[in-house]
Amino acid sequence: MIEADVVVIGGGPGGYVCGIRAAQLGLKTVVVEADRLGGECVNYGCIPSKSLITVSKLVDKVKDAEKYGVRVSGVSVDFDQLQKWKSEVISKLVDGISLLLRGYKATVLIGQAEIAAKDRVLVETREGKEEIRCKNIVIATGTRTSGLPGLEFDGRLVIGSKEGLDLREAPNRLMIVGGGAIGLEFASMFQKLGSAITIVEIMDQLLPGSDLDLVRVVQRKLESRGAKIYLKSKVLRINKEGPAAEVEVETPEGKVTVEVDKVLVSVGRKPRTERMNLQGIGVQVDARGYIVTDNKMQTNVPGIYAIGDVRGPPLLAHKASKEGIVAAECIAGMPSAADWRAIPDAVFCDPEVATVGLTEAKATEQGYRVKRSRFQFGALGRALTAGEPDGFVKVISNEEDGLVLGVQIVGPEASDLISEAALAMEMGATVEDIALTIHPHPTLPEALMEASELASGRPIHQLKA
Amino acid sequence: MTYELRLPDIGEGVAEGEILKWMAKEGDTIREDQPILEVMTDKVNVQIPAPRSGRVDKILVKEGDIAQVGQVIMVIDDGSGGGSAPSVAPSAPTAAAATAATAAPPATPSQGVLATPATRRLARELGIDISMVKGSGPQGRVTDEDIRRSASGVRPGTAAVTVQAQKPARPGVGPMEELVPLRGVRKTISERMLRSLQTTAQVTHVDEVDMTELVLLREAFKGSAEKRGVRLTYMPFIIKALLPALKEFPYVNSSLDEQNGNIILKKYYNIGIATDTEQGLVVPVVKDADMKDIFELAGEIERLADKARKAQLTLDEVRGSTFTITNVGAIGGLFATPIVNVPEVAILGLHKIAKRPVVRDGKVEIRDTTYFSLSFDHRVIDGAYAARFTSRVIENIQDTKKLLSEVL
Repeated sequence: MIEADVVVIGGGPGGYVCGIRAAQLGLKTVVVEADRLGGECVNYGCIPSKSLITVSKLVDKVKDAEKYGVRVSGVSVDFDQLQKWKSEVISKLVDGISLLLRGYKATVLIGQAEIAAKDRVLVETREGKEEIRCKNIVIATGTRTSGLPGLEFDGRLVIGSKEGLDLREAPNRLMIVGGGAIGLEFASMFQKLGSAITIVEIMDQLLPGSDLDLVRVVQRKLESRGAKIYLKSKVLRINKEGPAAEVEVETPEGKVTVEVDKVLVSVGRKPRTERMNLQGIGVQVDARGYIVTDNKMQTNVPGIYAIGDVRGPPLLAHKASKEGIVAAECIAGMPSAADWRAIPDAVFCDPEVATVGLTEAKATEQGYRVKRSRFQFGALGRALTAGEPDGFVKVISNEEDGLVLGVQIVGPEASDLISEAALAMEMGATVEDIALTIHPHPTLPEALMEASELASGRPIHQLKA
Repeated sequence: MTYELRLPDIGEGVAEGEILKWMAKEGDTIREDQPILEVMTDKVNVQIPAPRSGRVDKILVKEGDIAQVGQVIMVIDDGSGGGSAPSVAPSAPTAAAATAATAAPPATPSQGVLATPATRRLARELGIDISMVKGSGPQGRVTDEDIRRSASGVRPGTAAVTVQAQKPARPGVGPMEELVPLRGVRKTISERMLRSLQTTAQVTHVDEVDMTELVLLREAFKGSAEKRGVRLTYMPFIIKALLPALKEFPYVNSSLDEQNGNIILKKYYNIGIATDTEQGLVVPVVKDADMKDIFELAGEIERLADKARKAQLTLDEVRGSTFTITNVGAIGGLFATPIVNVPEVAILGLHKIAKRPVVRDGKVEIRDTTYFSLSFDHRVIDGAYAARFTSRVIENIQDTKKLLSEVL
């Protein structure tokens, strides 16, 4: 039997960070991971997908190289090598996490955890059952892909995102069911790797919930390269008798049948809490099964905490990590709390979409006098020299005092650019603050400065509206 | 889900309050808006309604103890399960039986308080509710300095007072002595009186008033007032006699803005009525007295006096006076020298009306007389001006024809 101050169940970006912080604070910490440290993010999500996306972009650039005067011939993708490299990246990160946890003297158990009681966790490891007596439990078990009835994963024709990242070739024709963040990343990536893409989305827009002007840039790019996008549509049935799949889709214009080589379903995720015995210990969950906590990550049961995806959307690794820190600090008796102003979000489609804070509609709804200022990457030196002129930066500010309320970016490296906006929001910066900050030239972040200059009424590289 | 009730910002710079009475105990079921506690601030007593329905989980401050604004004083379990909600100060309390809101709830824009993440953490570390801190930075942003100041301002006070309350027989108090903590209304009175005498140059002018005609007039109209449901005292008549004098002598209805070197002449007439209550002296205010007829004045005075005695006045009802009247006549004495209710510059003392021998037209007559004493701030008003003002008030009182027109 192990005795511990904290047992963290789940070694993903929430759990392992929580484990490190707890151990740093002198708590006797056990991190239990059922599969591999790093969780969904490192092993089956963010990291592998970004590896593949990088390669797909590279292939695309090379194919397009003639435009820049570079002659290339015979470009092909060696998927075995690509997957090997991807695995190396993952292993490096997983090993690093393991090293950190052990370095800070946290115990790592690989095995299925089960909450037996408020103070007792059972872990089924390869060596047998291990019992942990603990003062606190942090549930960080995340989410899993949810399938669609009638479109069950079969590992052959119908796959999920995890299998999609392990493919040994780009399907000739790929249908993506679900045009959210994951679906669009796969669409952009496999399109560049040579797949003909069909997207089926049940809502009336891609990336539901995002501003249409951002989405339009992505949609236009996908469509200009031949993608077929069915909005307000759904899959009716699938015929898997032949080597390819025949998918019947109901669209507003009527039924269509599409023949594809693979169907990737990315319609959402659901909390992974089966073994957490939530009912037994009386932990409150919401209507969708996500665990409810306060801003200290504590559930209604004292000593039971929950962090990351298992608390519900937005499902983001970086949010999980910060919550892990808060939970660890609160357990250690520190006055920590989730009091951030904004959680940045990034989608690695092409071009990338990244947002932080309020959208124009939300800000208006909350009673701000909203000012919207945009700057097109097409007018920015660095974007043009990088061959990435699509997209824009949009700054939403409060007319009265210039407070930055939100920033939305669609364009090159949007995922990198958004951090400056997030910092601005946390610091309570005004558009003037950003406009007056010198940004190196020529770089992409200048776009945020330019949009902020417009917002403060002093644009240089665009005409006043 | 549990919910932390914090002592709300009652407004007007009230920083703390004494928990007078809990109207619910641990385990009780309460419903939203039901009064659950009475707090005595240095201005008035207020009742605080339950911010939500549920069961009282914990009461964290005992009756008689002082709580700081923003301090968690009660934990409520709203029965919804789940963890504790981020504690939020409830909206403004409603003073008992009052309609006038006493203060606006602290503004909580959706973006939260303007402060950097590090400052927000500092606030948590020092146990300060940052939403209660007034920011000194640009656009009202809260700085580290603001947090530290707030932290140092709050803590020692709480500790000291609590100790006093819990141990009445602490060292330093003799066996034949009783320790009464200086609190609430008493504390305010002591501070205000000292400030008045320390910061102004006060002189008292006394004059004699023949009230014979007014006594008759009041007797004559008592009945008709009663039919209107009001008790007609001398006070409404005196206010009526006072108002034209205040208008004619504007410096009496003024205040001194020392900082900017201005005298502020007030063109509105809110008359404070010093009222003796169990907790001590309170001064409810008859707002815009010049817009009210004599019966309205009588009704308003009666209403305010009643609320004062029941300790139910709202902040709104005790602030904003421009001139104060204090009446010690019911108790007796010849005359007193009242202390000016700063930042006003003058106060009128009314005294016992008695039959006294008076010389009129060379003959001694028995008349109803009294003394008016006007204490005034000599920095603003000179003796001659004060004497002329007082004479005018007395003339108006003795001019029964004019007063009669007010009643008819």
